[in-house]
Amino acid sequence: MITAALAVLLLVSGCGSQPEAGTPSPAFNDTDVMFLQMALAQIAEGDQVAALAEQRATDPRLRTLVTELRTQWRDESATMRRRLLDWGQPAEPDPSAGAHAGHGDVHSLRPADIAELGAAQGRTFDRTAVTMLLGHLGNCGETARMESAGGADPEIRALGSNVAGRRQAQVQTLLKMAAEP
Amino acid sequence: MRRRFTLPALTVAATAAALTVGVAPASAHGYISNPPSRQANCASGAVANCGDIVYEPQSVEAAKGSKQCNGGGSRFAVLNDNSRNWPAASVGQNVTFNWVLTARHSTSTWEYFIGNTLLASFNDGGAQPGATKSHAVNMKGLSGRQTVLARWNVADTAMAFYACVDLNIGGGGTTPPTTPPPTTPPPTTQPPTTPPTTQPPASGTWRAGTAYQPGNVVTYNGRSYTCRQAHTALAGWEPPNVPALWAAN
Repeated sequence: MITAALAVLLLVSGCGSQPEAGTPSPAFNDTDVMFLQMALAQIAEGDQVAALAEQRATDPRLRTLVTELRTQWRDESATMRRRLLDWGQPAEPDPSAGAHAGHGDVHSLRPADIAELGAAQGRTFDRTAVTMLLGHLGNCGETARMESAGGADPEIRALGSNVAGRRQAQVQTLLKMAAEP
Repeated sequence: MRRRFTLPALTVAATAAALTVGVAPASAHGYISNPPSRQANCASGAVANCGDIVYEPQSVEAAKGSKQCNGGGSRFAVLNDNSRNWPAASVGQNVTFNWVLTARHSTSTWEYFIGNTLLASFNDGGAQPGATKSHAVNMKGLSGRQTVLARWNVADTAMAFYACVDLNIGGGGTTPPTTPPPTTPPPTTQPPTTPPTTQPPASGTWRAGTAYQPGNVVTYNGRSYTCRQAHTALAGWEPPNVPALWAAN
């Protein structure tokens, strides 16, 4: 199964490297596209939590972390959108492909979650924000590691690696805060 | 442009490939962050040289029914290694366990054990959890250094998620939250302006020692809270500290 899967990935990257009509065609595969689309969706969701936390967290360490996170997300999403545009791919996954049916919604933050956070106060607000960010950044890290392991485009693989490292560092800081009594 | 027509089928294939090698987000689920579980202590760096668990503390998934910290699965055996210097959080007899969830599986039960003693079981009846989850669990008089095994039993699969939490349990049920365990290194990159973690002076109608029922409303430090679970209040269980017990109004 893994061998077959790798063969599929090689086939995809092989297709992507075919020159077409005299224009240079970048070598990218479906993992690259999936990463960029999923990461953009995760940034859009997570930024709702981060924006609230930037305004309302009482712990200055949390405010510092989400300010850094939002700056990185703006930078990362600009690169992601540009590459999808370069490749002629939509910024959102094709819902008809069905690739995300069955697990997409269980990983998503929902409007009710943002409302729960918005209604929380003081230490409860901080704790809720830290918990939601830990879960969400854990998912962001998994998506990024998927790309660094299986992507084809060198720049986007490097971006996946970079994103995975950044989210891992942020998860570490949040875990230390979460572990406090 | 020929490539574009082949993409939908290949997208599905590539997704299946990613799932097969275990790097897709579908492999992620949840763990206990406070008091910190063994996987949380690995991922935060409080315990070094843990292996791959540092990247996915949420992925300790194995068949239901195990009493091992890694669930008896093929990965993350480091979690079973009691010779590691796992930090033990100082707690009283009543402990609130906070989960970080990266996937919201329909849940049958959440179980907490020390050894063969079932401390508590929470039946969700197949419901999906919210973005956060916490449970208040009584230690049944056990004290000293103990390891709590938590099991999150998924409703619609044969799998569970496992988390071991090392505790140093005080006796008597009146122990307030104490200082962080000395084995946890302090954050090294933080400004010296960390907020005080001590409790503010109590004000309002909330009182330790009072038995509260769901729906009871109290005030604490100028805010109003509604009780979510029946419990007898203890020092350290002030409403803003225990979202499992009190919802802010």
